Amino acid sequence: MRPDKTRPLAPSEAAEQVAHDKGLSARRVTMSYGGAPVVRDVTLQIPHGGLTVIIGPNGCGKSTLLKGFSRTLKPQTGEFLLHGADLHSYRGKEAARHLALLPQAPVVPDGISVRELVRCGRHPHHSLLRQWSPHDDEVIDLALARTGLTGIADDRAAELSGGQRQRAWIAMILAQQTELLLLDEPTTYLDIAHQYDLLELCAELNREGRTIVAVLHDLNQAARFASHLVVMKDGEVHAEGDPSEVMTAELVSDVFGLPCDIVPDPQTGTPMMVPHARVPEQAEGAGN
Amino acid sequence: MSTTTETRRGAEQPAGHLRIGTAVALPVRRRSVVVGVVAVVVLLAAAVATLTLGRLGIALPDLPRSVFGGAEGADKFVLKRLRGPRLGVAAGAGAAFGLSGALFQSVTRNPLGSPDVIGLTAGAGAGASAAALLLPDLLPVPVGALLGTVLAMALVYVSTGTGFRNPGRLVVAGIGVAAIATAFTQYVVYAVERDNATSLMTYINGSLATRTWGEAATIAAVLVVVGPLVALLARRLHLCEMGDELAAGLGAEPQRTKGAAVALSMALSAGSVAVAGPIAFISLTAPQIAKRLTRGSGPHLTLAAVLGAVLLVLADLTAQQLPLFDDLPVGIYTMAIGGAYLGYLLIREWRKGIL
Repeated sequence: MRPDKTRPLAPSEAAEQVAHDKGLSARRVTMSYGGAPVVRDVTLQIPHGGLTVIIGPNGCGKSTLLKGFSRTLKPQTGEFLLHGADLHSYRGKEAARHLALLPQAPVVPDGISVRELVRCGRHPHHSLLRQWSPHDDEVIDLALARTGLTGIADDRAAELSGGQRQRAWIAMILAQQTELLLLDEPTTYLDIAHQYDLLELCAELNREGRTIVAVLHDLNQAARFASHLVVMKDGEVHAEGDPSEVMTAELVSDVFGLPCDIVPDPQTGTPMMVPHARVPEQAEGAGN
Repeated sequence: MSTTTETRRGAEQPAGHLRIGTAVALPVRRRSVVVGVVAVVVLLAAAVATLTLGRLGIALPDLPRSVFGGAEGADKFVLKRLRGPRLGVAAGAGAAFGLSGALFQSVTRNPLGSPDVIGLTAGAGAGASAAALLLPDLLPVPVGALLGTVLAMALVYVSTGTGFRNPGRLVVAGIGVAAIATAFTQYVVYAVERDNATSLMTYINGSLATRTWGEAATIAAVLVVVGPLVALLARRLHLCEMGDELAAGLGAEPQRTKGAAVALSMALSAGSVAVAGPIAFISLTAPQIAKRLTRGSGPHLTLAAVLGAVLLVLADLTAQQLPLFDDLPVGIYTMAIGGAYLGYLLIREWRKGIL
């Protein structure tokens, strides 16, 4: 539902307009890397206080859209709005006090300790001459505790395991103390146990009041953890809403080209996608 | 105004804080402070050695009086004309080279992405020679050096096809640009000075012989102007080492930050080449030594500058006192030692599969 600007707003639409002023949204954004548009005319409201998960096949524009929400890439047309103002009109540090980003492949500098890494998250709260306050140490300790890293705070970040390192990055963006967290495929390099570990942590952070937007690959993880699911295809939002309504066998087939059944997740009751097994064709000379 | 350095939880905690009143509070690593103090002491010792050693040296007991009071006779000549300006230029140019290298290596996130490896100092040398010999009254030497640096950087940037991202291409493009720049310098020197070997050496390898206070003042001015700007940039540049997207997420504005760092690096390179010639490999080695000594993260800007000064003053001390040849240009010494280090780096990066 897009508010039409040419006629006066009905009361319900006015209420929606107010909702638009809170939190993060995209208004008719088109984005590209110089060539053909990767994101086309997308309008999207991130539900405030929700855990929004963006899914879609490779090249559908989901990471590009997240780049727009995190100010990494400017839209060609349209605008991203933070609390009703153009996101790109914010100064760097000011925006970084509202929203934090965990990109896909951040680089761990040589020799940095976990605590120093987490301290980097305080940068948006510092001025040129005041780059430390006692409050910083409290926030950093809290972020370390929250991610279970207190015991290894003085270890070198480069020597951590993949799961611990991802927790260290999460701790860093927690130290940023923003109401919004943007996560670009945070589970990609983790083994399956650490993937769920991280997603449970995200769900907890969300319950504590943070708005989270994550790009994920795994549909079942998306359906289990999302409060709001956004499905993208060919640079457009194909469907969005509650996972139980959005995730249907028809949608998965349409968007991913994968025939499947949707069954209730035995643990949570959320939709669970089970791909159809391909009927093996008659063996035509095995080993050929 | 009171200065306190306090540390939390004693020895296990590497970070302390420098506090001045209530307005300033900066995180400081104890190890970096210790290394920095030691480096400054070494620099002072090397400076004293430069002024006192050798046949013309000022006798050590006379040194304080000569420096802080008034020097007389032969000492006055040695201090004011012979070794004083030379020492000032060595320290200033060394610091500028070191800082320039630290900035550029931080932007390219690779030790090979250093102004002397990728041909920028050679470009500055070409610009300086053109300004000094072809257009002596039209173009000040530092401006010529800066133009040469900018041109060399544009050539490198365009010819890699991928900007500064790929260190292998950067080195190869740098070899080409350095060769062009050196050929141009040779042409200029031969065209104007004919067979003046000393002049050629100065413009190609860099030399600190016969420096003047004017040149010391030039490099000091460059450092005074550029240094504070680098300090403004330091924290953001450190964050950029974690990747552009992460830096953007922290509000460090990576494109602007890196662009500014490259510009300042070029200004420092051009400034030091203008006063000392394209002395090789101080930019390459000083930041790497700083990094290894502190074992910390980040570009170590201050320490790279101090160590650059230490390296160049020591190299020049060697050039003056080692009885190999009479006053072999200092650039030859740095080239010999830095070249070996460059070879080591190339092999290491190649083994890591980065090249």
